Amino acid sequence: MLPDMAMVNSSDSAEDRLRRIEAVTDTTLAHLGVEQLLQELLARVREILGTDTATVLLLADGGQHLVATASSGLEESVRQGVRIPVGEGFAGRIAQRRERLVMQEITSTTVRNPILWQKGVHSLAGVPLLAGGELIGVLHVGSMLPRDFTDQDLQLLELAADRVALATRTRQARVERAAAAALQRNLLPARLPRIIGMELASRYVPAEEAGVSGDWYDVFTLPSGWLCVAIGDVVGRGLTAATVMSRMRTATRAYALDSNDPSEVLSKLDSHMRHFEPDAMATIAYGMWEPSLERLHISLAGHLAPVLAAPGDPAAPAELPVDPPIGAGSAPLRRRTSTITVAPGTMVLFYTDGLVERRHRPLEVGLQLICDAMRTDSAEAMCAAVMSKLIDADPTGDDIAVLAIRRQTAEELRRLELEFSAVPDSLSEIRAALRRWLPTVGASDDDIADLLVAVGEASANVVEHAYGPLGGTVELHLAANDREVIATVKDNGSWRPPRGQHRGRGTQLMQHLSDDVRFEHGPDGTSVQIRRHLTGGKFP
Amino acid sequence: MTTANVEVRPHEEKKIDILVSGEIDLSNSAAVQDDIFAAITNHLLAVRVDLGGLTYIDSAGLRILFALADRLRLLQTTCEISAPPGSPTRRVIELSGIDSLVHLHV
Repeated sequence: MLPDMAMVNSSDSAEDRLRRIEAVTDTTLAHLGVEQLLQELLARVREILGTDTATVLLLADGGQHLVATASSGLEESVRQGVRIPVGEGFAGRIAQRRERLVMQEITSTTVRNPILWQKGVHSLAGVPLLAGGELIGVLHVGSMLPRDFTDQDLQLLELAADRVALATRTRQARVERAAAAALQRNLLPARLPRIIGMELASRYVPAEEAGVSGDWYDVFTLPSGWLCVAIGDVVGRGLTAATVMSRMRTATRAYALDSNDPSEVLSKLDSHMRHFEPDAMATIAYGMWEPSLERLHISLAGHLAPVLAAPGDPAAPAELPVDPPIGAGSAPLRRRTSTITVAPGTMVLFYTDGLVERRHRPLEVGLQLICDAMRTDSAEAMCAAVMSKLIDADPTGDDIAVLAIRRQTAEELRRLELEFSAVPDSLSEIRAALRRWLPTVGASDDDIADLLVAVGEASANVVEHAYGPLGGTVELHLAANDREVIATVKDNGSWRPPRGQHRGRGTQLMQHLSDDVRFEHGPDGTSVQIRRHLTGGKFP
Repeated sequence: MTTANVEVRPHEEKKIDILVSGEIDLSNSAAVQDDIFAAITNHLLAVRVDLGGLTYIDSAGLRILFALADRLRLLQTTCEISAPPGSPTRRVIELSGIDSLVHLHV
């Protein structure tokens, strides 16, 4: 038969041809994904063996099915997403027995994939794809003409399968690692939120040895003005851990909206995880600051307590009860919330165990090093200090996440400069900023109500009148002494006269609700300065 | 995001209460105005706007009240606005001078 003849003629240089498979596994094709790489390899396998088709099916669903992943000659099976249960059909039997299989004449009863006989494939030969003794899929070749696959053909096919398996496994692992790292990176806050009265800084270093290991942190505010902080560590590694972490972060945010009690949030998170991610386990420290930022309510689920340093006091880990991790046990467990008073100037340091756990260093020593590194001057400096003190040249086997939060002092908060984009949605952000800042300078409820409207009007004017369609910014400069607040709202556009009915009340309101309003229109924009005395007594 | 809720309660025959809560500024004033105006038909004899649940209002919100007062005068429908005495909302409304157009209820 003709194909056999061709095979015999080409078998002399079979090893040479196999080298061509190796050639496509080298680094010049490093940019290819698993599917594209297999496509390249299969074209070569088909050529070497002189067959009409060459197809790879990879194991999916935890080993239940084979899924057609790449094919040369039977591209339809890939496009249609052909799935073969392990144990059934031609490929399914190879996967189950982990043995080569030849079928000289296929029929609709012996193969599972109808595309094979619809396309007119007559004979099939297949081998398992094994990497490190583990089955990862099946490679099979088909001929349209009747063909006796010889032992030599099959040996060649197995050699090719070794290379395909190795290349696939390496590539899968690399892709998975990259995906996990990308997922992790995307889920950590790209920029920490700006919270008036708090200074924030963070560090995240993924594990060097085995890829990311599911550490995460999150900082966000609630519409009620509460500030929420979460830091956690999902047990496990790679894409699985990163995926669980992303779900956990979303669930935490969702439950945070509904409760001001951290232990309740963690209890809900625990039921959620036990039901939807039964195999996952994670530690988490979850805290909520009251809008005044004076008190932190916190609950720990198997996580290390934050370390606190108040100006003038020695630094120490917060003495808090620790409840079991999330996902531990099969029934709801008791969880507790503790309350910590956070004086102005205090540094609170949250971290994951990767920071302190080292093979050559006891945990107590690590904790002591953190306490030694604690400082109260700046959150950025705090992160830099703790990283340099605890991390040496040894590669880290675990992720490290560090989040430093420092409550600013009244003195620092006397002056504040903020910038918002000049869009209607910024107006509620501006009010939120004022509601947070004004109490820190001693404003009473009446002072706050008046200034909210006065500054709100000046800001709304900028949003409405200062810019064309390209938009711009609203700058808000706030300053306070023990008698009054001076708020300056600036833009760098050029105002147009108001349009529409019922206009012109804004300026009137500003004047009524403050002691003095000054407009300065210049070539580079307009500034509105609002002065308002404080009725609320002394500067705190 | 600024959010306000508008709730309409028929009160007697041809009379309704409109309860506005939340905050009103430039970003949501058009939507709030639509909600309020949609609740009013030309068959009504009286409309009472209850601002007791409002925590912020500025001139964008006052524009709605002035437009409403105008519209109801044309329809010859009575308009009454209520806001708790001593509240920030009450203060802003009193400063606006709307009491010359509508009855400001205690």
